[in-house]
Amino acid sequence: MSTVTAHPSRYGRFMTGLLRITLRLDTFIHKLYPTDFNPLYYTGGLSNLFLFILVLSGIFLFFYYEASLAAAFESVRYISDEVPYGGIIRGVHRYAADGFIVAILLHLFRNWFTDRHLFSRDNPWISGMFLLLFGGLIGFTGYQLVWDERAQVLTTMFLAMLRSIPLAGDGLAKIFMGGVGIGEGTLVRILFLHIVPASTLYVMLWWHYLRLRHPKVWPPGVWVLLLVGLVFLLAGVIPATSGQPATPAGRPTSFPMDVFFMVPFWLLNWLSPGAVVVLGVLLFVGGLAVPYFSRRETAPQMGVRHAGVAQVIDGNCTGCELCYFDCPYNAIVMVPSPGPGLSKAAANRTLLAVILESRCVECGICIGACPFEALELPKFMERDVRIEIAQAVQA
Amino acid sequence: MQAFYGVGIVLLSGLALAFAAGIIVGEATDRWFFGGALVGALLITYSFIILLLRKMGVIGPRKAER
Repeated sequence: MSTVTAHPSRYGRFMTGLLRITLRLDTFIHKLYPTDFNPLYYTGGLSNLFLFILVLSGIFLFFYYEASLAAAFESVRYISDEVPYGGIIRGVHRYAADGFIVAILLHLFRNWFTDRHLFSRDNPWISGMFLLLFGGLIGFTGYQLVWDERAQVLTTMFLAMLRSIPLAGDGLAKIFMGGVGIGEGTLVRILFLHIVPASTLYVMLWWHYLRLRHPKVWPPGVWVLLLVGLVFLLAGVIPATSGQPATPAGRPTSFPMDVFFMVPFWLLNWLSPGAVVVLGVLLFVGGLAVPYFSRRETAPQMGVRHAGVAQVIDGNCTGCELCYFDCPYNAIVMVPSPGPGLSKAAANRTLLAVILESRCVECGICIGACPFEALELPKFMERDVRIEIAQAVQA
Repeated sequence: MQAFYGVGIVLLSGLALAFAAGIIVGEATDRWFFGGALVGALLITYSFIILLLRKMGVIGPRKAER
């Protein structure tokens, strides 16, 4: 086995520091909550919870909302003031959207700091970046749907950003508005851009889970109650409100800020629309590249050698499925056994484990899962491990 | 410690009962924001009751995590 010859980079040391902080945070939370209730173990599940709240409350709001310049503001006012508990549901929708973004960011940073985005986990990371992007778009279009002064100025700023895109900008702006200017078709398009990407999030979640064997998709009941309760409490105590209705002659110059969805518009105070678009694209592309450029140490630095894709020893496999359930990368499938195994335990098997080589990351988890010595890493045999342990003990 | 948790559960249950009464009052007087906020407060109270029950060892952990 190779020895460690290079020191971790400054980036590696920085990330190790963040990992330590993350683990200390876990230790602190475990003083308050049992380990199986630790919310930081369920940040993805928390995002799912908020998304579920958003979908349910969104369906309620959709029944009353009218997507036209003349009626949108009034329909939102009607929901808030005259529909029984309509104001509460609107508030729940608004605060759950904030919670969704917070949970996604917690999920992102935790998985980043604990290195759960590297190697075969690049797929969930990349799909997660798209989930974040779409989440931001949906939240922003939600503010537009109210069609108050803030919605009007946001739409104007968004159009300026669209138009700053070379070649396609004017065309995109025209498609967004449904004509040469903001008109009756605009809000229908914004409603479409609010609902369709929200539905698409579930397709992206499928992509997100594609290579994960045991994803924690839902938080413990104690956190479901606490967070659903929190959004209801906030909706009642600090109700979601609209500003003044938008008017064609209105030229508002400022609006209440939302730190989760309006940061790009806040940047327009200092940057041109084109610069904000470029910054957003760079951030997104940079985010996609993180799994490939943020490895703290190379395999030789870590003292790890190439172990080879796991192999099934046909004669020993009993078809018990333990390796199939334990593999976190969906790299093992069970197929009908073409015949009995050679060992006594495998004589009556009906299934046989097969490795999908493209998915195997050579981690060795399946070796530990198998009680029948029916799996091996061809370049890292058990006898090698024993020799290394013996050498280490002697040293 | 068990007695401390037990007292906590009794107090939180009383609080939850008060919130439930508040929800009924909110509904009867058409104060929807008041009632809605108390629904939230009630759920939060339930979550703390579950936490204390878990700390007492009355419920959980789930089979897979034992």
